[in-house]
Amino acid sequence: MPVPVLKQGDVLIASIQSALTDRDLLQLKDELAEKVGQFRSSGVIIDVTALDVMDSFATRTLRGLAAATKLRGAETVIVGIQPDVAMALVELGLTLEGVETALDLEEGLETLRAAVDAHRHGG
Amino acid sequence: MLEAQSNTDHSAKFDATDLDRRLSFGNIGPEDRACIDEIKDDVLERLDEHVEAFFSHLARHEEAQGLLRRSDVMEDARKLEREHIIAMVSGRYGHSYFEQRFRLGEIYNRAQVDIALFMGAFHNQMGSIGWRIMARYPKDSDKAFRHLFAFKKVAFFDLGILVDAMMTAREQTIVRQQEAIRELSTPALQVRDRLLILPIIGLLDSFRAKQLTDGLLQAIRSHRAKVVVMDLTGVATVDSKVANHLIQTVAAARLMGAIVIVTGLSAEVAQSLVTLGVDLRGLNTIGDLQGGIEEAERLLGPPPSRGERHLSVVG
Repeated sequence: MPVPVLKQGDVLIASIQSALTDRDLLQLKDELAEKVGQFRSSGVIIDVTALDVMDSFATRTLRGLAAATKLRGAETVIVGIQPDVAMALVELGLTLEGVETALDLEEGLETLRAAVDAHRHGG
Repeated sequence: MLEAQSNTDHSAKFDATDLDRRLSFGNIGPEDRACIDEIKDDVLERLDEHVEAFFSHLARHEEAQGLLRRSDVMEDARKLEREHIIAMVSGRYGHSYFEQRFRLGEIYNRAQVDIALFMGAFHNQMGSIGWRIMARYPKDSDKAFRHLFAFKKVAFFDLGILVDAMMTAREQTIVRQQEAIRELSTPALQVRDRLLILPIIGLLDSFRAKQLTDGLLQAIRSHRAKVVVMDLTGVATVDSKVANHLIQTVAAARLMGAIVIVTGLSAEVAQSLVTLGVDLRGLNTIGDLQGGIEEAERLLGPPPSRGERHLSVVG
């Protein structure tokens, strides 16, 4: 099942609703990298609240996605990682380094806003 | 939890296959049963004497006084010991035999009778019975030994069950204590919006560290925490395993969008961690709890009013 991508202001929100196949993930990655440029977005939020399992491929793809959108000028925040998932990822050594994380969608928007502010003041 | 359940249900552990297995371990065959049947009446004739051999041995030791002083338990124990000797020579080693032995084991364990002391008393009792068996065949040492040996087989088979019963009961105690510790374990305290404090006091082992992690990650979600101050002032020692677990906890909390600040690492703990070569780069440490809270305040900024926050999200 492909992931719907919503546009909210200058933020793109991808809300993952069910377990994804590797192909869906890659498709999401391509789609977001494309849309970030198309909508001139400053941020991307990927909501994984509904996921109770994340494997190494998923985390690697998300890391790649974050790096790619960054190159296109948008910060990516992953929100809603469940406690069990967080622990499992860490035990597997998948700590999503370099990727912003936040508790939930609201918090993710806050994080993005702060990052964009800092960027503007800095630049 | 699953472990606790399987431990309390000891009858499941002693099903029919287990019975057969144990009997074959004990190598008790039909000829042994025939021997037992032959000596049965001799043993039962002095039943009270044999029961007494067990308790008089216990009475000689300080460690068993707790049991001997409790008359209600003692009455139960005497009755069960009597029944036990009768069952031993009956030749029927079925499920009820197991249950009976198991109950006895639990009684001794509750009274905290030392296993070694129990073995001594048990052997004393077997000695008392053994003399009767030997006395039955005064001329024929070969026959006497064969009968004694058959009886010994039952005695050892029996001891196996009893020791298992006592061990199972002890395991249950440990499980109960672990549950108690889990309940006493670290509370996560919310001191202001988005800020949790996690004071850790006492010995940290891997088990408790895991409890702590689970509890913290759940608390981050339920309190919507952004910053967590983990205070280790009350922790005297941290080994490398626990330190790694703490690092994992911090990494997991980060994945959930929370920042963990570790405070109150004592000089000894800090030195031992460095000596162990634990990589603590991922940890955000600050000297004491006060400093940790100040840092948290700085990270969180002034508490926003509801209206402001709402606007900022929309804008």
